[in-house]
Amino acid sequence: MNILKTTASRFLRLPNITSNFKYATAVETASKPQEVNEPIDKLYKTIELELRGNDSAVLNSFAKFATTAGKHLDVQSKSWNMRKPVHEKFTVLKSVHIYKKHRVQYEFRTYFTFVQYKHLTGSTADTLLEYVERNIPEGVALKATKVELQLLPDHLEPPKAE
Amino acid sequence: MSVITRILDKNVVKQLPKRAAAYYSNKPNIEEDIGEFRVLYLKTSKAQAFTKKKYQKPEVLPPRSNEMPVDQNWGNVWPGPRTFHPATVPLPLRQGYVSKGSPPDKYANAELMKIPNFLHLTPPVIERQCAALKKFCTPWPKALSNDELCEKHFPFEVISSNYCHSSPSIRDPMARIVTIKFKLNDLKFDEKSRDKYLRLVGDRYNSETGYVTIVTDRCPTQKQNYDYAMYLVTALYHESWNVEAWEELKTEADMEKYIWENNESKKSVEKLFGKNSEDIAESKQYANAVINFMNEGESDYTLANYGDSVRILLGLPAKTNVL
Repeated sequence: MNILKTTASRFLRLPNITSNFKYATAVETASKPQEVNEPIDKLYKTIELELRGNDSAVLNSFAKFATTAGKHLDVQSKSWNMRKPVHEKFTVLKSVHIYKKHRVQYEFRTYFTFVQYKHLTGSTADTLLEYVERNIPEGVALKATKVELQLLPDHLEPPKAE
Repeated sequence: MSVITRILDKNVVKQLPKRAAAYYSNKPNIEEDIGEFRVLYLKTSKAQAFTKKKYQKPEVLPPRSNEMPVDQNWGNVWPGPRTFHPATVPLPLRQGYVSKGSPPDKYANAELMKIPNFLHLTPPVIERQCAALKKFCTPWPKALSNDELCEKHFPFEVISSNYCHSSPSIRDPMARIVTIKFKLNDLKFDEKSRDKYLRLVGDRYNSETGYVTIVTDRCPTQKQNYDYAMYLVTALYHESWNVEAWEELKTEADMEKYIWENNESKKSVEKLFGKNSEDIAESKQYANAVINFMNEGESDYTLANYGDSVRILLGLPAKTNVL
């Protein structure tokens, strides 16, 4: 439900959709100035996705999907998996009672893949990220690091000399 | 006579009705019953036991993949994520390892069913879905085509992470961390405020890259941490311009570095020449030599440098190596 709410609020925020919606409902002049309280689109320098999974083939397929989706939405995208997989091993006793010399070893393998998108606006980022996140296969975890660009705050001015 | 009759009575006469009943009930007289109502025979003989019906397996239709046209729209056949179904996928897949023999085929193959497949995200389907999503995207402004322009117009960088993984909770505590990065040179300082700012900021300033990095994670939500980080940036800047009353009491002895302009060395040079240090030709290199000597400490190099600079200042000949 939260996802639906956020997508609904996003649709209303965008200029293209809202202007059509307003024109359809109210008989007013076509050229209406943009509302003052409409939030401005954010700018993201890069969005880097870190993917972790138990199967490298699944991760590679998913990275291929993520980069293809980015390219279709006109975003520069690339992927790499230079990080070495982590093998978590633990040793347990094989038998229920005694036989200490006989053990069994289990391991978890975590594979890493990275996908990077460059130069996205806020609405593009929200759309692309939601599309990619909705199609994550079972057993894959995703961490999205966003680097947002902002203007220098106005109040950082030296004090006026009295 | 009586013995004979007794034996006859026991073995033949009394068992006659029993035997007759057995004879007549065990043998079903089928020829008599044809054309009439069927009779229920409760006592079964061996002949009847064999006529039990065998279980017939229900007929399985041929796999759907046999009737699939080659140019079908695969996106309609497999619209969403689904466990692998061999009869629906028209591919001759094989998966698994058998020590003697070929990899097992797709029918009743648990390995193929276990692994997540991407049959619902084939390239044409991705293209179609992205085309539908295109209207919610906005283009990147052309004026910010490379990184330098981005840095020039938008000097502030706010870095945050979001997490998406299967878990009992949709929230991840690491998502509250916010990092703000900006270049020190983008802020306006004078010499004193810059020095004070660098002391306040400490380790967060990287002198090699010129970036100040502020990381906040003390609040539970990302928004709160962002507000706190912005507060820190503002407070640090204004505090560095603030001059306290006790800062005026700093004397020459408290200075961390040797400043030539405030010291005796300058006064003695001016006294010697009778002019201001700016008017004396060689005073600058002498000043530099003295500054280096005082700040870096006494060493062969700084000492030699000082000696040479004095010779140049006073117009003496350069030092020659006496053997």
